[in-house]
Amino acid sequence: MSVLLQFDFWQWIQGIPQWIEGILYWIWGIVKWIIYAIWDFILWLWATIFNADNFFFLFRAVLFPGLIWVVLALIWAVWGTRKLWGRIQDRRGPFHQGKYGGLQLFADAIKLIAKETIIPDKAKRWMFRFLPGLLLVVVLLPFAFIPWDTVSAVNGGWAIADLSVSLVLVFAFLTAVPVVALLAGWVSGSKYTLIGGFRAANNQFAAEIPMIISTIGCAFLASSLSVFDISMAQTNVWFAVLLPINLATFLIAAIASVGIFPFDAPVADSEIIFGWRTEYTGIYFTLTYFAEFAEQMLYSALIVALFLGGPNGLPFLPGPVNFTIKFIVVFFFFVLVSSSFQRLRQDQIVKYCWKYLLPLSILNVIIIMLAIVYMPGLMLPLLGVG
Amino acid sequence: MSTIGRAVINKIPEITSNALGDNKIELIVPAEKIREVITIIEEELEDAMPESVFGIDLENDQYQLIYIFWSWSTKTLVQLRVSLEGEKPEIESSCDIFPGLEWHEREVREMFGIDFKNHPDPRLLLLPDELDGAYPMRKRFTTDQSRLEESGIAPPRPRPKPEGGDSK
Amino acid sequence: MSPDILDEAMEIWFGPQHVSAHGWATKLTLVGDYVVECDPNAGYFHRSAEKVLEFKNFRQGALVLERMCMLEAFLAEYPYVAAVEKIAEIEVPERAKIMRTIMMEMSRLHSIQFWWGQFNAELGFFTMALWPWVDREYSLDAFEELTGSRHTVSYSTPGGVKYDFTEKFMKQLHRAIDRFEDRLPKFRDMQMGSPTFRARTKDIGLYHYKQGLKWGLSGPPIKACGVPMDLRKDDPDPNLAYDMVDFEIPITENPEYPGSSDALDRMEQRFKEAEVAVDIIKQLLPQLPESGPIIDPKARAKANRLPEGEAYARVEGTRGVTSLWLKTLDKAQTAYRAKIRGPCIASYYALKDLVPGSKFADFIVIFGSLDPYPGWWDR
Repeated sequence: MSVLLQFDFWQWIQGIPQWIEGILYWIWGIVKWIIYAIWDFILWLWATIFNADNFFFLFRAVLFPGLIWVVLALIWAVWGTRKLWGRIQDRRGPFHQGKYGGLQLFADAIKLIAKETIIPDKAKRWMFRFLPGLLLVVVLLPFAFIPWDTVSAVNGGWAIADLSVSLVLVFAFLTAVPVVALLAGWVSGSKYTLIGGFRAANNQFAAEIPMIISTIGCAFLASSLSVFDISMAQTNVWFAVLLPINLATFLIAAIASVGIFPFDAPVADSEIIFGWRTEYTGIYFTLTYFAEFAEQMLYSALIVALFLGGPNGLPFLPGPVNFTIKFIVVFFFFVLVSSSFQRLRQDQIVKYCWKYLLPLSILNVIIIMLAIVYMPGLMLPLLGVG
Repeated sequence: MSTIGRAVINKIPEITSNALGDNKIELIVPAEKIREVITIIEEELEDAMPESVFGIDLENDQYQLIYIFWSWSTKTLVQLRVSLEGEKPEIESSCDIFPGLEWHEREVREMFGIDFKNHPDPRLLLLPDELDGAYPMRKRFTTDQSRLEESGIAPPRPRPKPEGGDSK
Repeated sequence: MSPDILDEAMEIWFGPQHVSAHGWATKLTLVGDYVVECDPNAGYFHRSAEKVLEFKNFRQGALVLERMCMLEAFLAEYPYVAAVEKIAEIEVPERAKIMRTIMMEMSRLHSIQFWWGQFNAELGFFTMALWPWVDREYSLDAFEELTGSRHTVSYSTPGGVKYDFTEKFMKQLHRAIDRFEDRLPKFRDMQMGSPTFRARTKDIGLYHYKQGLKWGLSGPPIKACGVPMDLRKDDPDPNLAYDMVDFEIPITENPEYPGSSDALDRMEQRFKEAEVAVDIIKQLLPQLPESGPIIDPKARAKANRLPEGEAYARVEGTRGVTSLWLKTLDKAQTAYRAKIRGPCIASYYALKDLVPGSKFADFIVIFGSLDPYPGWWDR
C-alpha cells in the first residue's frame, strides 16, 4: 500500500503554469516600466529642445554662429587661402573640384579621413590619438564668445554668450594651444617632433605676452573685459583708430602664436619635417591642419571684435554681415602677410618679439592711458561716455 | 716645363715628367714619395685645388693612382701618376695636407682595395655593406647576374674585351 | 625628461627620408640648438656610373653623364664628349661650337633658377620659390623644342651636336631669356631686400677661399669669396665658343670679411652668374652662322673605335669644376677607365667642418647655399 504524501504531485504540476504566468507578468511589468521611462525621457527632451528659448539657443549654437557655421567658414577659409597663395605664387590654386575648386576641401577631407592612420611604435597611443581632437576643440570653443551681432542671444540677437570676463577666457583657451602642441610633439616619440614641440612652446613664450598686452588697451577703453562689451563700446569710433600700433602688434603676435610664416619654425617643413605634426596621418592630420586655420580665423575674428568694431559698421547692414565682411578682409590680410616672408630662425623670433613687439605694444597702451587722463575732452565723447 | 714641375724634380730627382699640353704636366711618382710631392705642391702652389684621386686597374694586380691638382693662379694642372702592385697595395694617405682628398681616398679604397695608411676615416663611402671587400671597380669583379631571368630584362651583350672586340 | 636634457647630446639623422634631404643622410649631433658634430654620409644615390661607362660605347657614354645631374644636362654631358674628341682627334664645326656654348649657358641659367627656387623653399619662402620655377618652365619648353626632352637632353655628341636650331626653338629661346631678364630686377628686389632673408643668411656658413680650395670647392662658392676662378677663362676649351665672347667673371665681395663668403654672398653670386650666362647667349646668337654642318661627317666613324689614349676634359659647371678623365685602349669601343668628378663632392665634404658651431636651423641654409646635388658625389 503506497504512503500518502503531504505533497500532492499532481496539484503541484497544475500550479506550474500559474507560476510561469506570474513570472511573465513580472517581466512584462519591468519592460513596461522601462518603455514608459524612455518615452517620458523623449517627451522631456522634445519639450526642452523645442521650447522657444531653448530651441533658438540650440539653433544658434549649432548653426550660426556656432559649430556648422564655423566649420563651413573654416573649410572655405582654407580654400581661400590656397587660392590666394596660388595667385601670389603665380599659379592657379585648386580648380578641379567644383566651380573654382570650391569643393576641393571636401574632397581633401574625405580622402584624408579614409587614409590609414599610422601610429609610430614609440608613441604613447592614447595621448597621441586624443590630442589632435583636443586641439581642434580648444581652438573652436572661443568662437562662442565672438560677438557676431550687436544684440546678444539672450535678447534675441545672434551673439551667443556674454560673460563678463570673456576676453580672459578666450586667452586662456588660446594659451592652451601651444601646450597641446608641445604635448603632441612629445608623445609622438620622434626626435624631430620633440624639437618641433619645444619650438612651439618657445613661440608661445615669445608671442603671447605682446599679444595680451595689445588687448589691454581695448579693455581699458571699453572698461570691460568682455569681448561683447568691447565690441559694443566701438559704436562711435573703432579702436583701431585709437590704438593703431596695438593693432599691428596684435596681428604680428597672432601670426607668431599660430605658427604661420614667417614665424613658422615649429612646423618648419624643411628643417624638422613637419615639427610636432609630423607623425599625424589621416584623420589626425585633418584635425591638426584644420586647427591651424581655425586658429587663424579665431585671431581674425578677435581682431575684428576688439579693434575693428565688431558688428558695428554700416548701419543698413545687419550685424553679422558687417562682421563677416571685416572678418574676410582681416583674414585676407593674414594670408597676404604669411605668404610674403620667409621663415625666421627660432631665436630670431624670440629676439624680434621681445625687442620690438613688446615695447611697442606697451607704448601704445601708455599713450592711450595718458590720453584718457589728460585729454578727457577729446577721448570721452569718442568713447561714448559722458 | 712649368715651375712646379721644375721645383718637384729639383727636390726629388727620381721623378720623371711628361708634358701633356700647354698648361698640364704629369709627374710619375714612386709610391713612397707621394707625400713629399704633395707637400711640395702645397707649398709652391698656394691655391692648389685637389680635384680628385682615383685608381685604374691595369690587370694582373697592377694598379695606378692618379692625383689631379689645379692651380688657378698659375693656371697649371698637375697630374701625379703612382704605380702600385699587389693583391692589396698600400700607400700613405695625404688627406691631412689636402682635406679634399679624404673622400676620394675612401672611394679608391672601397672600389679598388688600395689601402691608405693613416686615413682618419676608413669607412665605406658609396657602397652598401654587402659589397665591403668586393672592390667593384676591379676588372675581375663581375656583376651578380643570378636573378637576371627573373627581371625580364634582355640578357646583356657579351662583355667587350679591353682591346676592343665585337660588342654589338 | 631629465632636467639636463639641454646639455645632453642628441643624435639626429637628417636622413634620407627628410623633406629637404634630396638624397643624402647626415648624422648631426645636437646639444640644445647647436650642432656639435656633423657626419655626412654619401651613397644613397650611387648608380655605379663609372663601371657602366666601361660598357657603353662612345656615343652612349654622354647619356650616362647627363643623368648624373639632369638640372644642367648640357653641361654635365660635355666633359665626356670633349674627352672622346681629344683622344680621337675629332674636329668640331664652328656652328656646332656656338650652339653647344649657347645651350650650355641656357643650362646654367636653368640650373640656377632651379636652385634658387629650391633654396627658397627650404627657407620657407614659397612665394619666391615658385616665381623662378615659373620662368624655368620657359627654359624647359625651349629644351623640349630642341631635343624632345626636358631634362635628359643628350645634345652633344662626339663631333658636334645632334639637333639644329629651328625657328620655333629660337622663339622659345628668346622668350625664356626675355622673361628672365624682365623679372630678374623684381625678384632680386624681393629676395635681397627681404629683411627676414638677410637675417637668415647673413654671416651663415662663412669660410675663407683658401680653406674652400683645400676642400676642393670651385665655381660659385669660390667666386663668391671674390676670387675670379672660372674655367671658361682660365682653361678655355677649343671646342667651345667662349673665346668669341667678351665677358667678366662675376665675383662677389664681402665687405666685412674679405676673401670669405657667407650664404648671402653666394646667393648674390648666382644672380650674377645667371646674368653673365644670359649676356653670353645674347652675344653669341648674332654670331651663329646662318647654315652649316652641325657635326663633323667623319666623327661617327672615328668615334666607333678609339685609339689608345688618355684625356682629361673639364667644364665650368654650375656648381664648380666638372670633369671626366678617360683612358682607352687601342681600337676600343668602350672606355677602359672613366672617372667622373663632380663638384658637389667637395660641398658635401665641407659640411663636416663648416656646420659644427651653428644652429640646427642653419644647417639647411649652409648646405643649400653651396648648391648640393647628390648625383655628383654619388654618381
